[in-house]
Amino acid sequence: MKLSSPAPSLLISELEPPKRLPLYPPSNTKEIAENGLNEECSQPSTPSELLSHRQEIEIFFSTFFTIFVAELGDKTQVTTMLISAESQAPWVVFVGAGAALIATSLLGVLLGRWLASRVSPRVLETATGTILLIVSILLLWDVVSA
Amino acid sequence: MDWNLLGLSFVTVFLSELGDKSQLAAIALSGNSKSLRAVFFGAAAALLLASFLGVMLGEGVSQILPTRWVKAIAAVGFAVMAIRLLWFEEHSPESEEV
Repeated sequence: MKLSSPAPSLLISELEPPKRLPLYPPSNTKEIAENGLNEECSQPSTPSELLSHRQEIEIFFSTFFTIFVAELGDKTQVTTMLISAESQAPWVVFVGAGAALIATSLLGVLLGRWLASRVSPRVLETATGTILLIVSILLLWDVVSA
Repeated sequence: MDWNLLGLSFVTVFLSELGDKSQLAAIALSGNSKSLRAVFFGAAAALLLASFLGVMLGEGVSQILPTRWVKAIAAVGFAVMAIRLLWFEEHSPESEEV
């Protein structure tokens, strides 16, 4: 009697993944996009149009401000200050530092997207929340220890 | 062009930035938001501006901007986003926040 209830749910949960998994690249990306997980992929066919220009600008500015304030007075900024003060060639230092920062943020964004395509939205939200909490603790630590 | 200096600043900044909080923030923001492009350009622009200010103003940056206060505000902002994600959006699978 008691066994009958867990068994069906287990069966269903086992049946669920194949719905997505057996699809190979062309249809797979399409399906992910339909699920609302990855709205904006590199493929032109995926519905990047779903995201309005305004929303995109909003995401841009919220990212810009959060990362900008997080980065102010950070060790990276201090490092670039020191190198440029020592070398007397601020533009060269800026180009080098700028290229490095673009590379690391590209890596970060790609890693985030890769993780997002791998885990369920639920897990992703918890992970994102945890990461943001860690970032905020690191920032507070900076404020306290400065 | 001083290639040694260029390489030195690239490697130093790249290594000190790997796994740093701004990269963590970029990972978190990109995983949870719908436009990869917007997050990337936002993050890159913010980092470029921050390092531009650092390079050009040198130590003067702390006099122009009260960095401690700005950071405290940022910390609160990140905490609010985190709490909202962790506690208030469990029922909605796709959030458009952040």
